[in-house]
Amino acid sequence: MAKILMKGNEAIAEAAVRAGCRFFAGYPITPQNEIPEYLSWRLPEVGGVFVQGESEVASVNMVYGAAASGCRAMTSSSGPGISLKAEGISYLAGTQLPAVIVNISRGGPGLGSIQPAQQDYLQATKALGHGGFRVMVFAPATLQEAVDVTYNAWEYAERDRNPVMILMDGCLGSIMEQVEFPEMKEPDRKGTHAWDLNRVEGEKRSARLLLPYFPEALLEVKNKSHKAMIERWQKNDVQVEEFMLEDAEYVAVAYGISARVAKEAILRLRDEGHKVGLIRPITLFPFPKESFQKLNYEQVKGIIDIELAIPAQMHDDIALEVLGRAPIHDYCRSGGMLFDDDGIYNAVKKIIDGGAK
Amino acid sequence: MKKSLVISGSGGQGVMSAGIMIAQTAVDAGKCATFLPEYGPEQRGGSAKCTVVVNDTEIISPLMAKCDTLIVMNEQAYAKFGKNLKSGGVMIANTSRVTSEITRDDVTVVRVPADDIAVELGNIKCANIILIGALIGAEAGIITEEAMLASLDKKFASKKKEVLALNHAALKKGVEYGRQALKA
Repeated sequence: MAKILMKGNEAIAEAAVRAGCRFFAGYPITPQNEIPEYLSWRLPEVGGVFVQGESEVASVNMVYGAAASGCRAMTSSSGPGISLKAEGISYLAGTQLPAVIVNISRGGPGLGSIQPAQQDYLQATKALGHGGFRVMVFAPATLQEAVDVTYNAWEYAERDRNPVMILMDGCLGSIMEQVEFPEMKEPDRKGTHAWDLNRVEGEKRSARLLLPYFPEALLEVKNKSHKAMIERWQKNDVQVEEFMLEDAEYVAVAYGISARVAKEAILRLRDEGHKVGLIRPITLFPFPKESFQKLNYEQVKGIIDIELAIPAQMHDDIALEVLGRAPIHDYCRSGGMLFDDDGIYNAVKKIIDGGAK
Repeated sequence: MKKSLVISGSGGQGVMSAGIMIAQTAVDAGKCATFLPEYGPEQRGGSAKCTVVVNDTEIISPLMAKCDTLIVMNEQAYAKFGKNLKSGGVMIANTSRVTSEITRDDVTVVRVPADDIAVELGNIKCANIILIGALIGAEAGIITEEAMLASLDKKFASKKKEVLALNHAALKKGVEYGRQALKA
């Protein structure tokens, strides 16, 4: 299939359809409206169901029900709406149901702004709802990557029987660039009887309660298996781009749109002989800890956290890996203000010049 | 070569459709392109801006502090983004709505009364096409006239012949203005 020029939100929507998603429920909010808009006509074309819910809470609970019926289901929103869906996402995790949640993020807190931001990092990676569960969080930087992670998202969700989050800033949600779509997928339904109320395989059928209450000992067992799953993610599922790290004296850390602007600035700094590299987490959770462990701290003079969030949110995860072996600087903007090449170039240059003194 | 273009005006002037058309035209010509819209919460009448980047290879950053080419469709757009044009760049100003004197002498300025020309041609809606024409005429190096004409053919294929003819005429008129500005 040839590459076509497409908007980020629509690219995610089409990739979801090709991944086998056949149910979507959502409630409008900028800057993600093109996802439901696109799916409202596209899902019926492939025999799927689109619902504009009466609220975010209703929508996430419809996804909850669809997931329990063995259907690949998705909902999308932006910051304020994701907060409203938090309860439902926690229930999905509690009942061990697979679903994909997309957050096209905007400025916050509160109503914030409709402009792009990366201010939901902590919410996505630490506590997407109550009760101490985690989800895999994918943060694509190009629309092709957004298509690819969306196309694979249910494979992880169903393998783990856990929700998956795609966290993308509003800038990438509204930008148009070229994408190439994979073929329509026929999802493998073997094993889905474990959670699918509609399926019986042999004699096996697991009756499920949608509002389970677990005796404390059993809940602790469940919590332990969730912990083991997180440890498996950390071992097997980290995705990261490491750019020009070998000789790097300064290492920028950025994801999503910020990483693309940072990369351009880094190329300019490299042209001037400055040894700057980039760690770009593609999975924000599990966080690419390894990439920081294997840095040569004899050589690295500084780490620069570049994100569209003030105060910085990824900083603490970086600090936990760097462990004081290099100073960590923040270069951040927020509230809907975006980076540009000059801004990042100047900020990094200033840090380098400061370090040289 | 990487080229960036900012188009700005008010909602309803065709800022976004012009940007998408240019990006699509570049893609059809085998290039890479990004189109980034920026607007406020208003449905119409608010400030509208889009950034288009065209390159021979994959575009790393779609955001930049300064652009190579700027199309300003009204006075506010000029006041806000006039300074964001790189020295040596090309500025296309819709002088039907940009009223203040354009003082920058380090850039090529194409002054086009696009709204007035569009009304003369028969429909104010083609003002954005006139400005795209001026961009081509001033050799901004983003898209060619042939490629843009082909895009118009494709875009207006389902419309009446007069609509396509109007847009062809609008593009040609704009190209003339661009060429004249280069000569001056």
